[in-house]
Amino acid sequence: MPIFECRDLDKSFGQVRALDGVNISIEPGRIVGLLGPNGSGKTTLMKLANGLLTPSGGELLINGSAPDRNTRAIVSYLPERTCIPLWMSAGQLLDFYRDFYTDFRRDAAEKMFGRLGIPLKQKVKQMSKGTREKAQLILVMSRRAGLYLLDEPIGGVDPAARDFILDTVISNYNPEAAVVISTHIISDVEKVLDEVYFINRGEIVLHDSVDAIREEKGMSVDALFREVFKC
Amino acid sequence: MLGKLLKHEFRATARIMGPLYLVLIALSICANLSIRILDSSPAAALTVLGAILLAAFGLAVTGTVIVAVALMVNRFRTNLMGDEGYIMFTLPVSVDQLVVSKIIVSTVWFIATAAAVLVSALITAFRIEYVEKAVEMISELIRITPGLQALKGAAVIVEVLVLAVTACASFSLLFYAAMSIGHSFSNHKKLLSVVFFFVIQFVMQTAGSLVILASGTLFKPWFSGDIGIIPSVHRALWLAVLYVLIRGAIYYIVTRIMLKKHLNLE
Amino acid sequence: MKWQLRSDAPIYSQLIEHIKLGIVSGEFPPGGKLPSVRDLAGEAGVNPNTMQRAFTELEREGLVNAQRTSGRYVTEDHEMIEETKKDLARAKIKDFLEAMTRLGYGADEIAALVSEQASKEGS
Repeated sequence: MPIFECRDLDKSFGQVRALDGVNISIEPGRIVGLLGPNGSGKTTLMKLANGLLTPSGGELLINGSAPDRNTRAIVSYLPERTCIPLWMSAGQLLDFYRDFYTDFRRDAAEKMFGRLGIPLKQKVKQMSKGTREKAQLILVMSRRAGLYLLDEPIGGVDPAARDFILDTVISNYNPEAAVVISTHIISDVEKVLDEVYFINRGEIVLHDSVDAIREEKGMSVDALFREVFKC
Repeated sequence: MLGKLLKHEFRATARIMGPLYLVLIALSICANLSIRILDSSPAAALTVLGAILLAAFGLAVTGTVIVAVALMVNRFRTNLMGDEGYIMFTLPVSVDQLVVSKIIVSTVWFIATAAAVLVSALITAFRIEYVEKAVEMISELIRITPGLQALKGAAVIVEVLVLAVTACASFSLLFYAAMSIGHSFSNHKKLLSVVFFFVIQFVMQTAGSLVILASGTLFKPWFSGDIGIIPSVHRALWLAVLYVLIRGAIYYIVTRIMLKKHLNLE
Repeated sequence: MKWQLRSDAPIYSQLIEHIKLGIVSGEFPPGGKLPSVRDLAGEAGVNPNTMQRAFTELEREGLVNAQRTSGRYVTEDHEMIEETKKDLARAKIKDFLEAMTRLGYGADEIAALVSEQASKEGS
């Protein structure tokens, strides 16, 4: 059964149609890119998957059920912005995640904090912006979740940090879990993706595997994106 | 899960309230000493110091109460309505548990603050002659007045405590309801929260008055004097509790609906 | 250091080429054990599924054998490895000849240029 499925999903905010008839099906073990320009509906889709928003029409299913507290237990979400509380220390963050998520691997996360040079006593507010982002990523990827939703993880991040993020995604690969990465920066991410969905103004305009696009169209996904979304 | 929410909520808030209570107790000791010093008509410098310490203690009391209220508001705003909301609302917990944990913790701090203020007042008044005399006079007064004797009963104390707790919870919920409505809009979230704070109260006052007027005839026998003063006091207290509970329940329902269906995290 | 991958060709076929190069150059010696899919994917900076596809193809061709529990091993068939080496060379030569033809050189000129350059590099 697909771990993440959208059937004719609609979402409107007043008059604005953020998502229109979206159909998506993602099987476990796939790393999928949700690619589109700013404002295309990527974040709205992520929020719907987390139950932060409710659909206006159609269905969104996580492992066959609508989002609720049970699906949240198997979904690990990396929001676009850094959301970890400033007053907590690294150690308290680990406690927090271990308390609420039974699938959280505290030892692995602690080891990664160590490798990044984050002492457990250090408070989040003392960390640099880049360190906070990496800390949040480590917390999210240290869960043995069924579905990872990463919203613009490499957006405003330096190239070395991008490598770190993609390395973490690859090394955490689990054939029973799916990863959805939403981004508009494609060239770095392309080699890590199995398949991509292009989304524009709330609609899915393309769905194919990365290698199929390269074989059939003779260009990278990045190049195809530039063509499809030419201004 | 609720237990874990409580644990982390207390962790987040104790780091602020704890030190405040310590400062309050410390200043109350200073205040006590100041009163004794001032009583013995000392040098000018000591008089000034004594006056300052007393003023500081007064400020500390007001400050602690204000901080307790501000903390209640701020915790809801930053932890649920701000960026942290992305973490909190994606935890495997229900919206009810999130709201209830906030209510429990803020109510505990309100009661604790009241206790801390009481303790600090007692310390300030410790073995101070004229305070002890005043207490004696009040006890005598209570013994003489028949109606006030009911106040010595344990039942009344329980009722007052219940009323205090429900009032604290309802008070917090009023803010929560206002904020959850205000933050459901995309713009002017804080402004709208303040606006709805007053709108909600206005609506509740109007509704409350209408209910009282309409049911005036229904409840008349309840307020007739023939059942005696002591039962009346009990009855009045329980009615107050009921009133506060109903208001609180309405605020809770509003908050829940807004957070479940109209959450608008930026 | 992530593997250098071109943007216009399918990733899995480039991975196959890369691994073949490793086999013929001796980086993955005959009969030797290959790193796991996940390790190699991490080293290359690619999706483990894509690396798996490359491995499967190499197994199909016989260059790599999967032992059920212990992992994947390079074949000991030296002839096959030699043939693979030649195939890789032929592909490179084909590209080279296409480029030289576009420059306007004929077969003899190409041969002469090649030996000239090769002797220079040799010293």
